[in-house]
Amino acid sequence: MSLTDLTGQLVNGLVISVFYALTALGLSLIFGVLRIVNFAHGELYMMGGFAYYVAASVAGIPPVAAVLAASAAVFLLGALLERLLIAPIHDGKVDRPDEYAIMITFALSILLQSLMLSVFGPWSKRPEPIFRGRVELGTLIISGDRLAAAVVGALVIAGTILVLQYTRAGKAVRAVSQDREAAEVLGVDVRLVGMLAFGIGAALAGAAGALMGPVFNVTPTMGIIPVIKAYVIVVLGGLGSMRGAILGALILGEVEVLAMVLIPDTTRALAYKDAYGLALLVLVLLFRPQGLFGTAGRRA
Amino acid sequence: MRAFWRGVVAALLAASCLAPGTASAQDVIKIGGLAPLSPPGGVETGQSLRDGMMVAVNDLNASGGLLGKKVELVVEDTSGVPDKGVAAFERLVTKEGVVAINGCAHSAVCMAIGPLAERHNIPFVADECWADDVTGAQIPQIFRLTVANSLVYTVASDWVKAAGFKNIAIIGENSDWGLGVIDVFKRNLEQTGAKVTSFTAERTVSDFTPQLLQLKSMSPRPDLLIAGFTGAGLLQMLRQAYDLGFAPTKETAVFAAGADALEPEFWKVMGRDGVHVIANPAGLPGKPDTPLSRRFATEYEKLAGRPANSVAMEGYDGVMVIAEAIKAAGSTKADDIAAALRKLRWEGTRGTVFFSQDKSPKWMYQQWPKVPIFVIQYTEPDQLPEKAAILWPKDQATTDKLLMKP
Repeated sequence: MSLTDLTGQLVNGLVISVFYALTALGLSLIFGVLRIVNFAHGELYMMGGFAYYVAASVAGIPPVAAVLAASAAVFLLGALLERLLIAPIHDGKVDRPDEYAIMITFALSILLQSLMLSVFGPWSKRPEPIFRGRVELGTLIISGDRLAAAVVGALVIAGTILVLQYTRAGKAVRAVSQDREAAEVLGVDVRLVGMLAFGIGAALAGAAGALMGPVFNVTPTMGIIPVIKAYVIVVLGGLGSMRGAILGALILGEVEVLAMVLIPDTTRALAYKDAYGLALLVLVLLFRPQGLFGTAGRRA
Repeated sequence: MRAFWRGVVAALLAASCLAPGTASAQDVIKIGGLAPLSPPGGVETGQSLRDGMMVAVNDLNASGGLLGKKVELVVEDTSGVPDKGVAAFERLVTKEGVVAINGCAHSAVCMAIGPLAERHNIPFVADECWADDVTGAQIPQIFRLTVANSLVYTVASDWVKAAGFKNIAIIGENSDWGLGVIDVFKRNLEQTGAKVTSFTAERTVSDFTPQLLQLKSMSPRPDLLIAGFTGAGLLQMLRQAYDLGFAPTKETAVFAAGADALEPEFWKVMGRDGVHVIANPAGLPGKPDTPLSRRFATEYEKLAGRPANSVAMEGYDGVMVIAEAIKAAGSTKADDIAAALRKLRWEGTRGTVFFSQDKSPKWMYQQWPKVPIFVIQYTEPDQLPEKAAILWPKDQATTDKLLMKP
């Protein structure tokens, strides 16, 4: 394989990593603050895809604005869902909080999928991408739609990190993530932070869905595979760790792409695509059960 | 007086229980339909199949039904998944009491259903199931109204040979049909000295970029990419192949083996970039140009709101061959229908339908051997398959060229 070919594969892996990171960051943020595994995360990703489709293809909003509109819509949906379905866990209104969280988010995933199936039908939708065409850098050719989506995705990730790092709200989110009780004692409104964290997590998934929709089509089942990848990434990177989610996404994206072209029997390479990440996960967990950036002893 | 009222109530109850239910069960012949109507199945294919069946049932009822009874179509969704297909088949047989079943799509589903058709002794006319083993299992209740992989891809291989492709890449889905695509092309082309490289992938794969990039950088570069996928996967592969500048290009042509390249959704995903994609329909509306095929095309478009295609024609023909068998047998008993299907010769929308009783090769048993097969190439955006250039078979070609390059 020539250097140009290898670069092409690495760039493709990097682009895919950005999409993986967006989804995984949201999942990790929600776990970090609310201590729940959100089984409806793939459906929030899917809602972002449909919101983008409505904004870009039905309402005719320009693509970048449509991504922002879709993310905002999913943020509001996430905040509403948190207040209605997740907040009771921390308000002590639920007897078995862990089981409740699993059941309620699982039921929510089925509900959202069925709802979109009823409203939009099962057909693939292909909304207009941010950029259509090819980007040619010498002999290297990259699909314009996914490259543009990855650039916007990277900006969204950077923006999220800055918000979490430097704003008052972001500091509150991080404080609750580190120690909920201590943050509450120090005057942080943990209920509001919980709603904010779920909203941001949902918006990140929604942004990923909005960016990926024009690349891989918008369908009611589009969130199933990406959320499995997101689970792999957050466990790989360490549950609740932002750094871990980003690094985990980068590793998974590149491993999947490179394994496909470097294993000896390339004719079967694509058939095992999802297995490479799982094999890597098992390998990492053998040596670091808490994941790359996870804290040992953290409640899982 | 109390006895009187008790009698009235009992009589009303008995009337309400017996009258409509018993009468409708006796006055209706139910024909079952199976189709993938939700993901991960090929939904567009499923809808075409179902709507074709509905046109057939409307035609039958407009001409007085069957054996003096109305015909009712009961369609169940398989999602293109064997487990769901088996459950749908069971429901049609045990709950709905259908006399025969038609449709299906997705070979894996058809093959899962085969043993059930045998166990329940229900005639099953398979549509859009191309794996050889569907009829190759030689189950007496299974008839096939569409092509077998060995039939269609042998014809397609003849076109590949005639067009002079020397370096062929196939990406096939990991299913009975997809593996069959690879197998038949390899068998037919490798003996000619052509190099055939094949890749398999799960049906859920949506990103083919690493493999397409790898193919693009191969030396020599493949001159033909065969996309052996169905559903959304096929459209994604075609889209990505174009976006990467791999195919269709001057250097590399692309052949879409799955039926989804014949549906309007193909153009929604591909836009103008779908021009020069090559597809492989098992029938084209208006071929043969008969009063029935013309009338079907008109009625289908009226009912479904989209133009007819080969899959819709299969759905129509599937219900009609079952109806013809019932008429010929004068019975709705499974053995009588199956026996009549074996002797059937009927002019359908795509030609004279009959089911071969040859047992060699295995897939030929109860297979319609004369399914019309075409290799077409789109020459304009939003083109209907019947308006595309016919490249093969040569005697029906609408262009001198065997391939039109971008």
